[in-house]
Amino acid sequence: MSAFWYYVFTLVFVMFDYFILAMGLNIQYGETGILNFAYIGFVALGAYVTGASSLPPSAGTGQQYIMGWGIPFPFNLLLGGLAASLLAVFVAVVALRRLRTDYLAVVLISFSLVFYDITNNYVPLFNGADGLYNVPEPLASVFKLTTNSFVPFFAVVAGLIALIMWWAMSRITNSPLGRTFRAIRDDDGVAAALGKGVFRYQLTSMLIGAFYAGVGGGLLVQFGGSFNTSSWLPAETFVVFAVIIVGGVGNNVGLLVGSLLVETLLIHLPAFLPDIPGHPGLIQYIDTMVVGVLLWVMLWFRPQGVVPERVRKTPLSLLQGLKSDRTANAEVPAMSLVDGAGVVEEGGVRD
Amino acid sequence: MTLFWLSVGFGFVTASVLAISAVGLSLQFGITNYINFAYGDYMALGAYFTYVLNVEFFHLEIWIATLFGSLLMGVLAVFVNRFLLSPFARRFNKTFYVMIVTFGLSLVILNVVYSIWGPNVRAYSMPIERVVHIGPFLLTKYQLITMVIAVALMLGIHLMLKGTRIGKSMRAISDNTTLAMTSGIDTKRITTITWFLSGSMAGLAGTVLGITEGNLTPAAGELFLFVIFAAVIVGGVGSIYGAMAGALLIGLATEVSVVFISAAYKLDVAFVILIFALLFRPSGLFARPGKD
Amino acid sequence: MTSGQIETPTTGGSEGAALSCQELKKSFLGVAAVTGATFDVPKGMITALIGPNGAGKTTVVNILSGMMKSDSGSMQVGTVDVTNWESHKIARLGLMRTFQLSRELGGLTVLENLLVAPKHQAGESLFNIFLRPGLAKREELANTERAIEILRTYGLFDLRDNRASELSGGQKKLLEIARAVMAQPKVLLLDEPMAGVNPALIERIGGYILDLKKQGVTVLMVEHNLNVVEKICDHVIVLAEGRTLATGRLSELRANPEVVQAYLGEVINASTTR
Repeated sequence: MSAFWYYVFTLVFVMFDYFILAMGLNIQYGETGILNFAYIGFVALGAYVTGASSLPPSAGTGQQYIMGWGIPFPFNLLLGGLAASLLAVFVAVVALRRLRTDYLAVVLISFSLVFYDITNNYVPLFNGADGLYNVPEPLASVFKLTTNSFVPFFAVVAGLIALIMWWAMSRITNSPLGRTFRAIRDDDGVAAALGKGVFRYQLTSMLIGAFYAGVGGGLLVQFGGSFNTSSWLPAETFVVFAVIIVGGVGNNVGLLVGSLLVETLLIHLPAFLPDIPGHPGLIQYIDTMVVGVLLWVMLWFRPQGVVPERVRKTPLSLLQGLKSDRTANAEVPAMSLVDGAGVVEEGGVRD
Repeated sequence: MTLFWLSVGFGFVTASVLAISAVGLSLQFGITNYINFAYGDYMALGAYFTYVLNVEFFHLEIWIATLFGSLLMGVLAVFVNRFLLSPFARRFNKTFYVMIVTFGLSLVILNVVYSIWGPNVRAYSMPIERVVHIGPFLLTKYQLITMVIAVALMLGIHLMLKGTRIGKSMRAISDNTTLAMTSGIDTKRITTITWFLSGSMAGLAGTVLGITEGNLTPAAGELFLFVIFAAVIVGGVGSIYGAMAGALLIGLATEVSVVFISAAYKLDVAFVILIFALLFRPSGLFARPGKD
Repeated sequence: MTSGQIETPTTGGSEGAALSCQELKKSFLGVAAVTGATFDVPKGMITALIGPNGAGKTTVVNILSGMMKSDSGSMQVGTVDVTNWESHKIARLGLMRTFQLSRELGGLTVLENLLVAPKHQAGESLFNIFLRPGLAKREELANTERAIEILRTYGLFDLRDNRASELSGGQKKLLEIARAVMAQPKVLLLDEPMAGVNPALIERIGGYILDLKKQGVTVLMVEHNLNVVEKICDHVIVLAEGRTLATGRLSELRANPEVVQAYLGEVINASTTR
């Protein structure tokens, strides 16, 4: 296979993977209003757990890591997602219940940095700064894949997984649960006044989002076969924010568009460009700056994103299913304050 | 025991850097009511401004370079507020829009620094000085000067807040922005001055961090940021004196922890203290009502 | 009611009161806003909470709905002591509120604003969404039917698919009440439901409140317009300088010199001279 197609399928994989990551952050930030600045930490944990649980026991591999259970795909991926969810519960219980949005953001970004610091320094956990490598390519032996054919194969696998997770996420966002999330996002005080236990819903949202983060991270380590601390500095969280803000907060199709525009075309495509002689890394630096500036421009001119959150209209089927003809407003009752009053404008409220 | 006292000495140095940066962050938070996630990168950029004046051009003496580097950062902070942050803050009433903007700013500044100076470790040009014994402590002249600067600056901030009209206006805005505006305080001017102070202090903190550590890297400020957050929150968000106390506590705790655990995790100690503070005293040691 | 107390025995909640409070106190930054609010809201009636500006009416409503904690004092919903309860727990006992400045859920449609309201929906659990979708769907259908009924009553049916943020001020006021009604309240706290709306709409809102009373809902409303209070309220609580000054029928209160001095006089004079 030519290098061209190798690149193309790598980009396709990246698009699907960031679509999953974007869905996870979107349910937290876009739907529930939780400013999770530690998002990349959940991605990383998912990646490490997916990798470490699928590797053989660490003795003799030249790496140090916990687990090493040789769990096959996709069960290791599931484990990665669940581990991230577990971390979300911990974080939520400690921080989410007591802090208002901005303090929470501070604590979460601090948490993200500390988690990074510990993983980087404490080698027995996930091999320290070197990270995990030689993670088995999933299903490669089953389908007798070569290194070349693995890339398109796994891009398709990631696409299928993204499709399933999209379906599941749509079920959630279109359900009363998703609606309650959005109510909390718009005004948590009102949601509480309506009897909603805000914390419980925020916890649920964190849990779902972290699962998506974990799975997205797991796919990353499965695709590349390695994962180390340099791939998840806190700034990466910002990239996922950029994906959902550019694409369209609260809209799953928008997230796919954002993933294509920001992560795939803006960040990964230039990474294939050769370095400018004498300036290693310069392209990447400029690229990241462009992402930051693009985000300001989007927030200013089109805060709703390329594909805005859609208005969830009353389903027609529902209106038709109703018993009687109910297409108009009822007659309006009125008290009579003044004699002969009760004069009401026609056709609803206009003021 | 010697090690313990040595770490206490270093603790005071870290506390000095922290105090400068935490007070700078706190001043700005009190006035604008959103958190500047690019503050760590302001520190880095300020440190590199000093580097330019000290090493690349002019070859100014290190402390003179520090002065101008910091002031330059203050001016830049005013411009950034004027043309980026303030418009967003005015337009969106939910603070998290501005916070995301500052998060993006952090990324932009960091990569500007990377693009210009590269990822390599740099150092200021400073004459090598012997370490001096002061009681049980063992410190370099640069570390001592840093401590003196920090103490003097804290004193200056205190006098400004209590004694000058600008300082009083700052406190008034910090307590209640709407009330301050209706009582005729020029909030725009005060905000500009605050950003200048905040930016300068970030630049100064970043530079002295580079001086006391003996090196500077683009990401140094960013990694230091959560230690600052810890100091600010432990002390009570928006409270200047709380930030000073928080800086002392966190500075000492992180350095003294080296006696007991590996130095690689010393900054993480700040996070542990932060978590405990949040669990048991969520509004901080010196919390002011109304900012909660 | 008196024999079947399951929860902690109450101290001050008197029989026949849907909502009561004793000696509520609250201060902000050392400034006392509420200095001793004590009153009962009789069951099945419309009660007005009146008082001059700064009397602490909204603070009392915020405390009663659990959105603020009182510094001291106690309060009961029915016979259940809810002192210092979180607002969502108080809400689950059937106490709903509206806000002085409308707080619509702006990103949601008008219909969705109502659909959020019912408590404990099957579709709010992940388990039901994926494993018992039929149950969730049936409940949603029933809720939608009821929500549409309410929207028709409140004249908002045509706006059902508009985002709530697009509504006019008056429409938002109506939406707030409709949303609270959707939650099937036993007690409804209305914080100035008629402030800033045109006279025709005042009439309508008054009609809705009377209608709710017919359905057995207890209403406590903060209201400035004494005309409205006279027409629809059965009982009046006067708050002045953070404490209960007097309670009773408006006609009785007009005869109370203390009340007239603190509040009524000023308003009555103002309305006659205008």
